[in-house]
Amino acid sequence: MDAKVDKTLKITTPSELEIVMTRMFEAPRHLVFDAMTKPEHLQRWFGCEQAPLRICEIDLRVGGAYRFVMGPPDSECTLQGIYREISRPELVVFTERFSMPGFTGSEYRVATTFEDIGGKTKMTTSILHSSKEARDGHLAGIDQGVSTAYDRLAAFVESQA
Amino acid sequence: MSSDPLSLTFAALADPTRRAILSRLALGETSVMELAEPFDMSLPAISKHLKVLERAGLISRGREAQWRPCRIEPARFKQADGWLGDFRRFWDENFNRLDQYLEEMKADEALKAASPSKRNVRSKKEKSNGRKGG
Repeated sequence: MDAKVDKTLKITTPSELEIVMTRMFEAPRHLVFDAMTKPEHLQRWFGCEQAPLRICEIDLRVGGAYRFVMGPPDSECTLQGIYREISRPELVVFTERFSMPGFTGSEYRVATTFEDIGGKTKMTTSILHSSKEARDGHLAGIDQGVSTAYDRLAAFVESQA
Repeated sequence: MSSDPLSLTFAALADPTRRAILSRLALGETSVMELAEPFDMSLPAISKHLKVLERAGLISRGREAQWRPCRIEPARFKQADGWLGDFRRFWDENFNRLDQYLEEMKADEALKAASPSKRNVRSKKEKSNGRKGG
């Protein structure tokens, strides 16, 4: 059997504008690359329980657009952007913007590399914001401590309302 | 420091003392004196935390001269809620699902490699298994 792969999601902040996520996958990189860039695959795994992926449109060409829409129509969240670099199976670069009713985030750049490690894949996603404020806002959502605390507080607040 | 409301909210929530203060305030409004009691901190230190929370819009303070009661502001929490969505949990859950889906992709590929003649049968099966969005 193969050595056990550490599948822990690691999140770091190498500069004031960046967030970097790394994750190992037990599959060759062409499969991971396809799973991340083709609608027929993304529709099988991407999204979340509260907001499943409803629309997944991808024009996988440099300059091509993509649009993911999650959640019910009255409170849908959208991730959309333009592909900037595509080199299957090792690299994909795109711009991205998150929006939902009442909130439109600023655009950031996402570069994902797929590294072959003995037939398995190390995926590294670097998110580059244009300001520290935007990065911090994005990061705050990532910080588990804040989120957990928030969940608890939100429950309190709900009970007060 | 940014004055963007959500940045202020998240910066304010990042401190454990301030979260503890908010948990206390979620039970009802109170004075700074009462608020300081359970914490091993000076009144000025507590006041400093309260100022951060107030600036972030998470609490408000009464105008009464002597004891300015502190209370929580639910609106800001609700505003943060929709946006937040918990990114780490989001990606953890998604990547765990992707792990499982990659097993399917590997099995499909192995099957195709092992018996190219069955490719057509398999691809029909794939189509029927495909989940539609919505």
